[in-house]
This record gives sequence, structure tokens and C-alpha cells, in this order.
Amino acid sequence: MSGTAVYLDFAATTPIDPRVAEAMQSCLSPGGPFANPASIHIAGRESAALVEKARQRLADLLGADPRCLIWTSGATESDNLAILGAASFRAHRGKHLITMPTEHKAVTDTFAHLEKSGYGITWLKPDADGLLSIDELESSIRDDTQLVSIMHINNETGVIQDIGRIGELCRARDILFHTDAAQSVGKLPLDLGEAPIDLLSLTAHKFYGPQGIGALYIADRPGCRVLPILHGGGQERRLRPGSLPVHQIVGAGTAAEIARQDMANDLAHVSTLRDRLWQGIKTLPGILRNGSEDHSYPGILNISVQGVEGESLMLGLEPVCAASGSACNSTSGESSFVLRALGRDDALAQSAIRFSFGRTTTNDDIDVAIERYRWSVDHLLSIAPLAVPGG
Amino acid sequence: MMATSSYNWAVRRHFADPQHAGKLQDDYELTLVADVSESEHGAHIVISAGIRGGVIAGMAYRVWGCPHLIAALECVCTTFEGQPVAGLENFDSADITQELSVPVEKTGRILLLEDALATLWAKSAGTEDQG
Repeated sequence: MSGTAVYLDFAATTPIDPRVAEAMQSCLSPGGPFANPASIHIAGRESAALVEKARQRLADLLGADPRCLIWTSGATESDNLAILGAASFRAHRGKHLITMPTEHKAVTDTFAHLEKSGYGITWLKPDADGLLSIDELESSIRDDTQLVSIMHINNETGVIQDIGRIGELCRARDILFHTDAAQSVGKLPLDLGEAPIDLLSLTAHKFYGPQGIGALYIADRPGCRVLPILHGGGQERRLRPGSLPVHQIVGAGTAAEIARQDMANDLAHVSTLRDRLWQGIKTLPGILRNGSEDHSYPGILNISVQGVEGESLMLGLEPVCAASGSACNSTSGESSFVLRALGRDDALAQSAIRFSFGRTTTNDDIDVAIERYRWSVDHLLSIAPLAVPGG
Repeated sequence: MMATSSYNWAVRRHFADPQHAGKLQDDYELTLVADVSESEHGAHIVISAGIRGGVIAGMAYRVWGCPHLIAALECVCTTFEGQPVAGLENFDSADITQELSVPVEKTGRILLLEDALATLWAKSAGTEDQG
């Protein structure tokens, strides 16, 4: 990354913690544990021991039994395995599934695939704050409902869903509950020993681990199983075949251990940063926060501003690296489906910027973001037509 | 969520310091105004041309759009100031598209400029009432 860049896109990916990199490097160095952990010789067993140590560390972070964790390539694969695998396993009982249109594409596209395959999907819309109505969820459950999938922290808005209540509702009706927790693992406390969650997807690169490694938690209880979506080996309880990447897994385990130790400090830090940024820009005309202010993760701040075009806003923000609410440089020109589901019109959704902060973000970074955001909005409003979309 | 695409030096310069954004300042014999928008790609242009003695003496614009569109408007204004009004008739965005390295997916937005200038030309020729 350029030395002048101010990175405020931690919800997309986090930088690897130096301690994680060091642990991974020890695996990649000459003489390191390179052997296939599925091999039964001494070198293989050395690798396998590291894999299991990492699994235990991740389990400790989640309050889970390590035997319930399956290594995958990341949250997208975990989402696919959870949803496709659970739907297949329970297809003989029923083919009705429930989710929301504000889920990550890894979930919505997988549900859309099942819908084309003959499953009935109920897409529950959020309220204007991005929150799911528990009553609406309850009333949408049918006799043949087999799976509910609702994410914990929304990746665009930071809105936190009440997964405890959702899980209780599902468990009382013997419906599997899956949550995409890619944005919350390592950031918010989770206790899977207590929480009524059956399936949970995560990825290491959202909590300062490496990209390309994640996990799926599968609760150890009757009726909670998934069928594999990949075939070709017996690894990971025959649910996820393929040679395990030892250095990636060691990195994920180390990141989990660090997250467990630093979580309270990290949370307090991002709260301070989020408040500092909002205080610095909230007086701009036409500015709006997207998503609930009371039920949101403080590491994400998503804002729109009336009368400003999103792509130009992004260029004006440089050298700040944030995420745009639009796909305006793609062929579609489509604005965020998540923000439109919250009732934002296209122009407001298109002007959205998601700032996300993390362990290494400083007050100086936030001050640069405030200065650039204010300049960009003022500049674009000064050249805008008097009547503009969203204005 | 997507990051911004690449912008060349000309786009960045025009975006950061647009010389023709705003209102026409001087009085002209004739002021032509075109107001065009294209909701599909997210663009709205209000462009003005001040005419004196059959020549475009000044141009200005206001815009809601991407950096490439802002830069393209700057190029148009710079190109046509001092030129006969008749030049508006044959505007072709190809040179600007090349100069600014406009991505192919943004062609629709740049073509909006052709619509705007065609509107100005039509108004100058008296084939359409002033808007």
C-alpha cells in the first residue's frame, strides 16, 4: 500500500497482524512444518498438531468445541457449505428457507441458486434501520421451513442483528439457524457454547489473519448436519476435502488468539474513532447515517449525503481508502442493494461511503478523512445543478 | 462496494480545479442553456453558452456526475470558447474520450455531452424555444 494512503476499509479486509505474519513465516521458512497434515508420518503429524492447535485457539475465541470447526477457504465457501449443505441434508423434511436481501452476496446468491432449484425462499426485508423484525420472522416460518440464515454484523452498514433471539426462535421449532459472522468474529464476544447458533461462517482476514482461510462452525446436536459440496478426500470430517494449508491455518489460529486477548481494547478503540469521524462531518448539509445508530458495530460508519455523486466523492476522498456504496465504475452503475433495501433512493445509496476502522487506525487517519470528506462534499455541491438527484 | 477506477492526469486536474463550473458571469447577446440528464448512468448536466457576434464567448456548466464527466465538460468548454456557434453542430466526443481515457462502460455518460451540445446548437439555430 502507498505510504500516503489512509486505510479505512477494514470491513473489506484487515492488515495482517505482525505477530500473525511471524507465526506464518515460521511455517514457510526452511525446515518449517511443510508436510501434509493428513500424512501419518512424523512430519505430517507435526503439521497436524499445528492445525489442531490453531483449531483450539479459534474454538477458544468462539466458546466452541474445536471438533465443531471445519476449515474452509473463507466465509464465502463457509456460507455455501452451510446453506447448500444444510438445505440438502434436510431436503427430505422440507424445502422452505428464510433469509434477507441485505445479506452478503455469498448468502443471497446461494439462496437464489436454491430458489432456481425448486426451494421456496422467503426474503425478509429489514426496517429503515436495517433491523430484522422478529415478529415478521416468526410469522414467516412454515411447517416445512428448514433453515434461517441471518448475518450477525452487516458488512455495509455495521447493523447488528439479534442473533440470540433469532436462534432461540429457530431452535424452538427445530429449524437450523446459520449466521454469516464474517464481520463479527474477533470483534464482538461470541459464546457458541451458549448461543443457539447451529451454523456460523467466518474468515480470518477480517480479524488480522491471512486471506484464504476461514471456517464453518457446525453445532453438535441432533439434526444439525450439512452434506459436503466438494468431493475428493476425507479431510475435515469428510465435509471439506482438500489438503489443509498449514501456514494459513496457523495464521488464523494466531489471529484468533490475539483477537481474544485484544477484543475489549479493539472495540473501545474503534468506538472512539467512529465518534471522532462522525463529530467531524455530521454538520455537513444533507448528511445521513445509514443503518441503526443504536444497534451497530462501531467499527463501521456508513454515510450518504444528498446531492453528491458517489464516484466523484470517492475521488475527492483520496488518499483515504474507503468503500463506495455504488458500483458506479462497473458496467451496471447499480447502487448498493443493501441501502436500497433500507429505503434509500438510488442517488442516496450511490453517494454512500463506508468507513471502517481497526486496530491500527489512528486519530490522525480520522482527521485526514474528515478533511477530505468535507472538501469533497463542499466541492461537489458547489458545481452541482440546483436540482440534483437526491438533493 | 467498489473502489474508484483509475483516472489519468487530465481527469484529476480538471476534477480538482474545474475552471468552468458555475454560472456564466458576463452579459452576452444570447445565452443558450441545455439541461440534460440520464438517470440510468447517474448524470445531470446543465451547460450554458454565451454568444456574442456569432461566436461562443463563454461557457459554463453545472454537473452531477462522475469525474470523467466533469473532466469532459471542462474539455468541451475549453474547446468551444472562442469558436463559432456553428461548431456545436458537429461535436464528436471521440477525441475527448481518448484524451481522458474514458472507460468503455462510461460511453453513455459521455454521449450525454453530445446531446447537450446538440441541444445548444438547436437552440442557437432557432429550431427550439429557449428552455
